[in-house]
Amino acid sequence: MARRFNVRAGSLAAPGLRMLVPPHATRGCLMPSTFETVADIIADTCDIERDKITPESHAINDLGIDSLDFLDIAFATDKAFGIKMPLEQWTQDVNDGKVPTDEYFVLGNLCANIDKLVAAKSA
Amino acid sequence: MILEYFQMIDRIESLDPSAGTIRTHCQVPAESPVFVGHFPGFARLPGALMIETMAQTGGWLILAARRFASMPFLTRVESAKMRRFVEPGETLEGTASLTHDGSGYAVVEAAISTAGKKVASAEIRYAVGPFPNDTIRAAMIAKAREIGFAEEFLHVP
Repeated sequence: MARRFNVRAGSLAAPGLRMLVPPHATRGCLMPSTFETVADIIADTCDIERDKITPESHAINDLGIDSLDFLDIAFATDKAFGIKMPLEQWTQDVNDGKVPTDEYFVLGNLCANIDKLVAAKSA
Repeated sequence: MILEYFQMIDRIESLDPSAGTIRTHCQVPAESPVFVGHFPGFARLPGALMIETMAQTGGWLILAARRFASMPFLTRVESAKMRRFVEPGETLEGTASLTHDGSGYAVVEAAISTAGKKVASAEIRYAVGPFPNDTIRAAMIAKAREIGFAEEFLHVP
């Protein structure tokens, strides 16, 4: 379940609607959502068909991503968003039973966590 | 270098973990069992050992940056180029700069040169995690002292 996934409104705007919004908002429409960026990274890194990657996908159970591929995904994601995903802390939290693995491996949830890191960086 | 033991780095020439840079000295031996097979009558340092030399150079940098609290393990070699042959007895300089210090992984740009000319280069990635056991950590620290690590880089303050 993508219980925490947030799709950025701009990514859903139809091209025809751009005429109705000011230029600064139009620029936002052209930005890919966090999920689109992450899904493209996964497709490219792991050679997975893009259409099979959804916000509900579990990185391990559904997409078969192993730990080595996940590090490559983390590197590309860190670079794409200018963040440092705290993988060591996340792993510790999962191992300590503080959070379920779905929190980081269901892509919608992962993207929500990425959004938090991006927001914290620009705050 | 003792090729058959994979001891590629003889000495740390300079190390600045805060700047994310390292230079190493690597003396290719005049003789080694490796040269018997690579190649008969045409002894040259194998490209795989050039990559290993770059990987160890970057690895020492990451160990210093983490103050030996965790250990890097080679996971990926990108864009590796072996530009020329290395003969027995040549002196190599290894260099690495940390380009991304991730959580649980790290990335360096590494190279080896001889007489100012680049021999090989690559982007090298590592998974960085806990030492598998105390024995290997102690051995790495002892080796670090042997090749010239400053004491300040051996322990978390």
